Amino acid sequence: MSEQKRDFSNARSILATDCGSTTTKAILIELVDGEYRQTFRGEAPTTVEAPFEDVTRGVLNSVLEVEELARTRNDNRRILNGEEIITPQDGDSGVDIYISTSSAGGGLQMMVAGVVKSMTGESAERAALGAGAIVMDVLASNDGRLPHEKISRIRQLRPDMILLSGGIDGGTVSHVVELAEILHAANPKPRLGMSYKLPVIYAGNKEAKQTIWETLGSVTDLKIVDNIRPVLERENLQPSRDEIHELFMEHVMAQAPGYKKLMSWTDAPIMPTPGAVGAIIQTVAKLMDISVVGVDIGGATTDMFSVFDGIFNRTVSANLGMSYSVCNVLAEASLPNVLRWVPMEMDETELMNRIGNKMIRPTTIPQAMEELKIEQAIAREALRLSFVQHKQFAVGLKGVQKERTISDAFDQSGSGETLVDMMNLDLMVGSGGVLSHAPRRHQSARMMIDAFLPEGITQLAVDSIFMMPHLGVLSTVHEKAATEVFTKDCLIYLGSCIAPVGPIKPGKKMLDISLTFADGKTETHELMQGDMFSIQVAYEEPVKAVLKPAKGLDIGAGKAQEITTELQGGLVGLIFDGRGRQPFVLPEDPTTRVAKLQEWSLATAEYPETETAAE
Amino acid sequence: MKARFARFTALALLLCLTAITVTSALAQDTAPPAPVQEVIAEDNPNDRGHAVLVRWHPSPDDGTTGRVTEYRIYRARCLPGVQPEVAEFERVSICSPALGVGAELDFVDVSDEIENGIPYLYKIETHGSAGVSSTIIDEPVIATAQWFDKSRLTMLIAILIASSVIIYWIQKAQGNTNIYLRPVAGLKAFDEAVGRATEMGQPVLFVPGIMDMDQIETLAGVSILGYVANMTSRYETKLEVPVSRSLVMAHAREVVKESYLSSGRPDLYHDDMIHYLTDDQFAYAAAVDGIMLRDKPAACFYQGKFYAESLILAETGNSIGAIQIAGTASPAQLPFFITACDYTLIGEEFFAASAYLSNDMRHIGSIRGQDSIKMLFMIALAIGTIYVSLACLGVPLPNWLDMSLILDVSGS
Repeated sequence: MSEQKRDFSNARSILATDCGSTTTKAILIELVDGEYRQTFRGEAPTTVEAPFEDVTRGVLNSVLEVEELARTRNDNRRILNGEEIITPQDGDSGVDIYISTSSAGGGLQMMVAGVVKSMTGESAERAALGAGAIVMDVLASNDGRLPHEKISRIRQLRPDMILLSGGIDGGTVSHVVELAEILHAANPKPRLGMSYKLPVIYAGNKEAKQTIWETLGSVTDLKIVDNIRPVLERENLQPSRDEIHELFMEHVMAQAPGYKKLMSWTDAPIMPTPGAVGAIIQTVAKLMDISVVGVDIGGATTDMFSVFDGIFNRTVSANLGMSYSVCNVLAEASLPNVLRWVPMEMDETELMNRIGNKMIRPTTIPQAMEELKIEQAIAREALRLSFVQHKQFAVGLKGVQKERTISDAFDQSGSGETLVDMMNLDLMVGSGGVLSHAPRRHQSARMMIDAFLPEGITQLAVDSIFMMPHLGVLSTVHEKAATEVFTKDCLIYLGSCIAPVGPIKPGKKMLDISLTFADGKTETHELMQGDMFSIQVAYEEPVKAVLKPAKGLDIGAGKAQEITTELQGGLVGLIFDGRGRQPFVLPEDPTTRVAKLQEWSLATAEYPETETAAE
Repeated sequence: MKARFARFTALALLLCLTAITVTSALAQDTAPPAPVQEVIAEDNPNDRGHAVLVRWHPSPDDGTTGRVTEYRIYRARCLPGVQPEVAEFERVSICSPALGVGAELDFVDVSDEIENGIPYLYKIETHGSAGVSSTIIDEPVIATAQWFDKSRLTMLIAILIASSVIIYWIQKAQGNTNIYLRPVAGLKAFDEAVGRATEMGQPVLFVPGIMDMDQIETLAGVSILGYVANMTSRYETKLEVPVSRSLVMAHAREVVKESYLSSGRPDLYHDDMIHYLTDDQFAYAAAVDGIMLRDKPAACFYQGKFYAESLILAETGNSIGAIQIAGTASPAQLPFFITACDYTLIGEEFFAASAYLSNDMRHIGSIRGQDSIKMLFMIALAIGTIYVSLACLGVPLPNWLDMSLILDVSGS
């Protein structure tokens, strides 16, 4: 960091880079007519590996591209001075803020440990995931493994750092010390930098600090922070997350080639890429007071983020992705589940072969419409499975005392229920190649709707150029700029999905729709069970809508309750989904299913060229 | 002359008629009542023998006049060559008059003195104020034992159906892990409660009720104790089980020891974990409260038979901030547990808990089978209620729904 405690509130330009495993992406954000806008974007191969072995080389290349693009508008614009980024801005030269994220070298890989897996173990996992780490394993006193198995596992995985928690303040000491003894016996070595001690963060019972220090102080680089679970009723994740970031910079980044130089350039600590995405989603949810679900589907993993009632959760589905992990998607989802989304007659063996091909040639992209449809069918299942895992992890705290009344006699709700409430979800953001770079935005919208099955009214958007990591780290130094760019340039609003919830017989009317457009024009529609249609509405011109669900159905205000609201459009517009929620059932008969898929596809302009050709 | 003769004749006729009427009435008052009619003695059906059913229609004099005061039933062993009239009858019962002639009277002579396979004779004496008349049943009757009690045929069919359904589900459950069981929050919270105690470094308290091992609820409670003990051994958390009956203590010790042994931690078990306090209800409650206030357990389980001490225990547990899970089939105690505890297993949830918690597919199949039977009974009850309601309203029903037919079937 070149300068501490600088005032960034009046920044005129911001340069942000994201050093990925293969590509380094740079964006330039500038103050245009009083508001922050993303103006130019550059890209270059990441140079962590040989022959360069210096991450700054790739950063400079990508920034150079930005600079060249910026000069097309202003010939005097300069960002680089030789091999240095000019900060702060002076006239047309330089930028006021330079920030960066990184996921190069596999990101931050951690192990976490807690006394009870579903309590302090889960809290530790939440802290690590929220900080942007990949959690390789969760050790716990009750995980059913013998000590030698745990020791063997630690040695085998070789994480970047370990987060040790357990026991509330004043709670158990013996269990957490036992875990520390296992760590001591394992004597783990860090993945990078063999001469360094493994960083271990202790965030457990404060009464065990001394014993933990005596056990681990000599063999690890031990940091002690506040208890992650001081009482069972409350989590305190931030101190652990801050320490993870600190250690990520000190140990992981410092060991990677060229990162020391990069760290000296940036105006804020380098964040792990997923942590930065989480940060921007949290910021937006807080500022706009909405609940958000975000997804980043990659080739090997899928990251899910959610903020409900102000509680942030992140999960990484390590084996669900669109290229390297595509066969795992098939194995986990099963062939019939993938096939149910393919809108044409197809043999199971052929489908399996095509998916296998994708795995052994992970960098290929679909060349024919048929291949595209298959890839998007797999994407639906990968997203669905990731979301299932996310819902299982994004739960309330367990082990908390309940207060009851006699009215709870036959409805005793348990603790640890999922926080993901689809009816209260306001915004769903998709990211990753298959969503951001789909040939038609309608396809992205349909994939997200089919995979996540949003309920009631939900706004859909995709990340245009995977800008969220840059904005996430920016949100830590300039919240206003991050939010403005996020809403204006980062997100491409697709529209809104309107889906009534509840059981209804096939062919029955689900919803009476009355729309008043910005130009005063009015329209009325009826949504029947099993139907799906879209209406073109631009994002800038929201429509006033009166929605009256049929008996037993809910659109957000309760069963059969009419609502008057404003619906946001987008590139796709409004999608009315009458295929049902709770239950959502696709026809089992292959011929009927294909016919319905084609009908819905046509109604939502998903693959219009194909349909026209077929006709 | 003719007129005088006619008057005399009329007077004589009137006197004759009066005399006949008075004589007849006098004769009725002095004659014994008429004997009973249509007397039948037969082997009493559907029993182990040693019983004879005697049925008869009352004497024609049985009624409001009070001429019949009682019926006496006699039994005699039928000896070869001895006429019924001279047989040695022994009185076996006295029956009250029917006060009417329409109803049939009966009496079941049950006595070990009646030997199966031996013929007996029966005699019924009709006693009245004016004397006694008797009727002897000429045909001897033999008491026999039956293999089957046909009156219980409906029950047999119900048991066969119930058993078949349960066996079917047990068979189906084996090898099938996809049987849906309604989620019971209280059962899912067991892990959570023990986990809380582990994180807090506090013991787990288990109270198996205040009754002895002859109560099914105590048995169910001790069975759940086995599961909890298995968890505390795996979590390495202290378990404390104060009991109020010595037999429960002995049984609970065996169960807990077995759990610690099966989870590979016999070293953590010691007998003092399960300790006797007192048989007295409130002394026991006071002692358990004392343990709670001193040791501050983080999880309290109340699983068994409880009475008035339930609220005392649950309120104390609540005040120390413990997660509390209660389970009982005592309806009177349920409201107290529901309001003061975190989770309560109600009635059958409590009995099904051990199968639910063990995750043994055979046990789960058995529960599923029982649930299916309950569903069948509920359907039968609903149909019966509708049927009776329609019948009461006078709605004409098809012949096959004739109630008498149903009664005949069950009666047979």
